Amino acid sequence: MSSSTKAPAGHFTILYFASASSHTSKSSEFIAAPLPISKLFPKLEDQYQGFKAKVLDSSLVTVNLEYVDIPDTPTDDEFIIKEGDEVAIIPPVSSG
Amino acid sequence: MSADALRKQIAATEEQLKSLRAQLHDAETRNTADEITSHDLLPESQWPLSQDEYKRYGRQMIVPNVGIQGQLRLKNAAVLIVGAGGLGCPAAAYLSGAGVGRLGLVDGDVVEMSNLHRQILHSTSKIGMKKVDSAIAYLRALNPDITYQAHPSHLTPQTAEEIVSQYDLVLDCTDHPTSRYLISDICVLLQKPLVSASALRTDGQLLILNSPSRLPGTEGGGPCYRCVFPKPPPADSVVSCGDGGILGPVVGVMGVLQALEAVNLITAGKLEPILTQDGKQDTSASMLLFSSTSSPPFRSIKLRSSRRPKCYACSGEPGTLSLDSLTSGSLDYVMFCGITHPVALLGPEERISAEVYRDVVLGEKRKHLLLDVREKIQFDIAALPNAVNIPFSKIQSSKPVGDAKAEWISLLEDEEQKIREGSEDMAPLPIYVVCRLGNDSQVVARKLKEVCLEGTGNETQKDRWIGDVKGGYRAWREKVDNQWPEY
Repeated sequence: MSSSTKAPAGHFTILYFASASSHTSKSSEFIAAPLPISKLFPKLEDQYQGFKAKVLDSSLVTVNLEYVDIPDTPTDDEFIIKEGDEVAIIPPVSSG
Repeated sequence: MSADALRKQIAATEEQLKSLRAQLHDAETRNTADEITSHDLLPESQWPLSQDEYKRYGRQMIVPNVGIQGQLRLKNAAVLIVGAGGLGCPAAAYLSGAGVGRLGLVDGDVVEMSNLHRQILHSTSKIGMKKVDSAIAYLRALNPDITYQAHPSHLTPQTAEEIVSQYDLVLDCTDHPTSRYLISDICVLLQKPLVSASALRTDGQLLILNSPSRLPGTEGGGPCYRCVFPKPPPADSVVSCGDGGILGPVVGVMGVLQALEAVNLITAGKLEPILTQDGKQDTSASMLLFSSTSSPPFRSIKLRSSRRPKCYACSGEPGTLSLDSLTSGSLDYVMFCGITHPVALLGPEERISAEVYRDVVLGEKRKHLLLDVREKIQFDIAALPNAVNIPFSKIQSSKPVGDAKAEWISLLEDEEQKIREGSEDMAPLPIYVVCRLGNDSQVVARKLKEVCLEGTGNETQKDRWIGDVKGGYRAWREKVDNQWPEY
């Protein structure tokens, strides 16, 4: 999982932690930007079947290391993920 | 040596002894005199710590963030560590070493061999002993000046209030979502700051919660666990260290960080619940992510700066969490986090026992496919010589593209060809699926049946037997081969 690799033009980086990484078999990838935040989960679910219910719904989502709220439905003033952003999917880890 | 020479030597030695005794007597009287003088001049009560305490904690007391005030705060603090495992062991060791006045440990488990690579307070000779007793024995040897309290059973909604109320700060060092929500809830209700950490495989998470700890619904309180993770993960996706694996130093790092955060909170005087309108208090909550295989290995994430508006635990809205609803058991944490049902996808006729597999299939040298669906890392540790490994994760993530077969099906067909080589009989071979415990094997057997038997219009496939080895390699070890490595 290296953030040192910059996203190519017109893309943002998405980082998968813990069970998000096991579910996608990836630690990171690039996705086309811009993307309204409400479209993020549908887009990921499309790519990885069962991802939303199993992982995304219980995860914390950050953009550029800052927490963001995921709206249930698209809104006019919603957050837009921009080119070059770093999005992270952080599921809770409970073991220890 | 002659008798005379010996007599002379004894006499000389006795003289030497006499002289040494005189010197000792002088030294002892001088010391007492010194003590009397210093006691007279400087009464002991002037020093808040004992001579030994200055010596023991001196190296941390001269650190600017600590000082004598910080040390006294540590001495007056009571910290509860819930879980005496991979996180709790290092956390407890450092807090004991740092001189926290009272340390409580909660754990209902006993020490097992598989704990020892990471739970550093326990040792081989303590296998079978209660973890709290084993840990406290170690801690007492490390620092006998601290009051240790053992709570030798797991925290429950019924016991949580009574135990947690005796402490100023709580460390969540447990290993399951149910305990994480329970501990966070009771900390919100009793206004205790919470340092929560977790670890799995090569990664860890650290959260400082409910800090500042204010009454639910009050402005300026720090977010709780439910503010960060309002929805628990589905029960069947929760992976324990026993199933997913854990590196000792990874969980160790997280436990040490918990101790550090506890020391920081205590020495900075941030334990007391702040009920005044001190708006300047730093409430910017953050989460620290540790991923030992990535670069950079640490990421600090800025969380919401306040509590979640409708948070069930800390918003104070009507109908939300109360001490009554928690302790009365009307809040069911097990139900909230979901229950994993034992996998029962196959009927009895689709499963064979480990003994039958050995006696009939191997014993009679029947041609068959043994499909081992454990991850490769486990397959490499131990596997039956005739097993073919296609990991469960690979099967789960593979999607057939158009009409093409999924890659793993083609792999399986290739293996079947190899086994058939030189034989005239082209009848489909039976497939036995095996895994670690007998759950994943059922999922794969079911999937194979759909693909091979029902999916294809191929008549020859219809007679193929597909099923699993019941109980997987665990049953194999228990019933067939007790030399099989238990990992």
